[in-house]
Amino acid sequence: MLEARELVKAYAAPGGAPIRALDGVSLRVPGGALAVVLGASGSGKSTLLNVLGLLEDADSGQVTLGGERVSALRRSARSRARGRYIGFVFQSFLLLPSLTALDNVLLAARYAGRAGADVRRRARELLAQFGVLERQDHYPPQLSGGEQQRVAFCRAVLNDPPVLLADEPTGNLDDANGRVILEALRARARAGAAVVVVSHHAEAATGADAVYRMRDGRLESTTGGEEGNPSRVPLPNRGEEGNPSRVPLSNRGEGHP
Amino acid sequence: MGRITRRYGFTIAGIAIGVAGIVALGAMGERIVRFIEGGDRFVLGQISVAGKGMGMGTGFTAGGMLPASALRAIAAVPGVSGVQGQVMLPLNPSTSQFMTLTQELIFGVDISVPTPNRAFPTLPVREGRTLRPGDRGAAVLGASFATSHGLAVGSTLTLEGEPFQVVGVLERTLTAPDRFVMVPIEDARRQWVAKDRMLRTIIASGAAAVNAADLNTGAAVGWNDGEDPDAVARRIAERVEGVNVQIPSELSALLRSSTAFFSALLGGIAALAFVIGGLSLANTVAAAVFERLRDFGVKRALGATDWQLGREVLAEALAVTLSGGAAGVVLAMLLGVSVDRWAARTGQQLFLFSGRLLGGSLVFSVLLGAAAAVYATLRVVRLSPAEAIRRGA
Repeated sequence: MLEARELVKAYAAPGGAPIRALDGVSLRVPGGALAVVLGASGSGKSTLLNVLGLLEDADSGQVTLGGERVSALRRSARSRARGRYIGFVFQSFLLLPSLTALDNVLLAARYAGRAGADVRRRARELLAQFGVLERQDHYPPQLSGGEQQRVAFCRAVLNDPPVLLADEPTGNLDDANGRVILEALRARARAGAAVVVVSHHAEAATGADAVYRMRDGRLESTTGGEEGNPSRVPLPNRGEEGNPSRVPLSNRGEGHP
Repeated sequence: MGRITRRYGFTIAGIAIGVAGIVALGAMGERIVRFIEGGDRFVLGQISVAGKGMGMGTGFTAGGMLPASALRAIAAVPGVSGVQGQVMLPLNPSTSQFMTLTQELIFGVDISVPTPNRAFPTLPVREGRTLRPGDRGAAVLGASFATSHGLAVGSTLTLEGEPFQVVGVLERTLTAPDRFVMVPIEDARRQWVAKDRMLRTIIASGAAAVNAADLNTGAAVGWNDGEDPDAVARRIAERVEGVNVQIPSELSALLRSSTAFFSALLGGIAALAFVIGGLSLANTVAAAVFERLRDFGVKRALGATDWQLGREVLAEALAVTLSGGAAGVVLAMLLGVSVDRWAARTGQQLFLFSGRLLGGSLVFSVLLGAAAAVYATLRVVRLSPAEAIRRGA
């Protein structure tokens, strides 16, 4: 279970009032759910993902993982929490250019304190599953965008993190590769992970358990997800517990941190 | 290491250039230091005595003639362990007698008595042999002199029309003897007469009773164990008339003050080398860390702690600076050896790559590289992973 409460994050603006990228955002994503946050550029959705993933501190509010308030942890503990419990998929892939595809995938295991033949075998299985095993010894600049994102996805899921966060994961991909990545994200949710995707493409919401819209730092409205499964798409309830943007999702997959 | 070299090729090259600058300038400094230190050891190893007045005599005393009677009187002074008459002449009297790095000297020594200099009782011979009692027309050459004149053991050297057979060549000392022509004192006396028209005139006129044994430009005087050399020198000055006695400690101070300019220049060069080379090195290492800001952000996103990241950066920085430092040392040595090969044609050696210089430069490089890496890493880890990724994009 990934949960955020009353997150506030403001950036200093040159010569003006601070910009509130997150303005009291609350969110609850249980294991097994895919939540999609839609919004225009600059609406604050990437900031939300960064704060949820402990890549950035909020000015106030808290993030909990499996009931533990991870946002209050010390720096090193937060780093370890990221390595063990959170996987990231970025729009620009963020593979290290000096490492091969396989080594990029294995990097996730290194910082989670995992090593050995099992981890390498698992990394190769993932690369094979995503059709890039034959490219395992290639460096990122030698890979296409689609291949890089698939390698990045393998890196994100190597440790089987209970939380998977994807920031515009299809933003730099063609339709075919975009579908592959979105389907992989859905599969992770089906496998029990809490998955949050932010995107400005409405197609990303297809098959989501919940869809949110971010505007001016607030989760102020939602749209439905997959038409065939409307019950999995609760709308934000501004009135719940006095928290206008706190949105409970389905309880599938509870038990993850 | 291979991976490091591939990934950081330009960084290593940048460090190598900085370190090469430090090492090359340092080697030139070491060369001058060796010369000054060698001179200092020499003058502190003996009491140098010359005759009063001005004359052909040169080298360390620049005095007048020191007759045989004076040598005997010096030997009788309490505390003196031995006296060796010497003749020191400029090979080419038309040049300045000011002692310089390039001055070539004829050095006549009385081989019948032991050399009293405690620091240099013998000079190391690279090839052939030293002078022996009874030698005539024989010469032992300093290393630079032999190289610049194209002479070796067996060669013949002509001085003032007199042929000398080269019987030995000294090891390179990077001090004054490198440019010496050492000959038996009897031969040196003939050279003196041949070079000095006034001396020839005086001897021919019979105006002064001068025997061959009186033709000494100076003497090296030794002292007994337990004696204070300065006290012995002052005793000689008090008890022997007509001599100029150099107090060893005063002569050492004089030598040091006369080379103070070189020392200051040397200090300036060294400081400049360390500042410029060091800044170049530190900047290169720090820039290499900052260039990888995005990578560090990604690693932290994947769970790397500050400590893990710092350790990684430091290990890479050490490997890079060590590689760059070693490459810089090799580069500087290649440069130095090439220049010295060219300079050897005139008997010069401009660089001295001493162990302390090479080791010190490497340690300095690695420490500075590590400090720069630590500084850069502290700056990097202060950023949130998201900020590092944003700034590094």
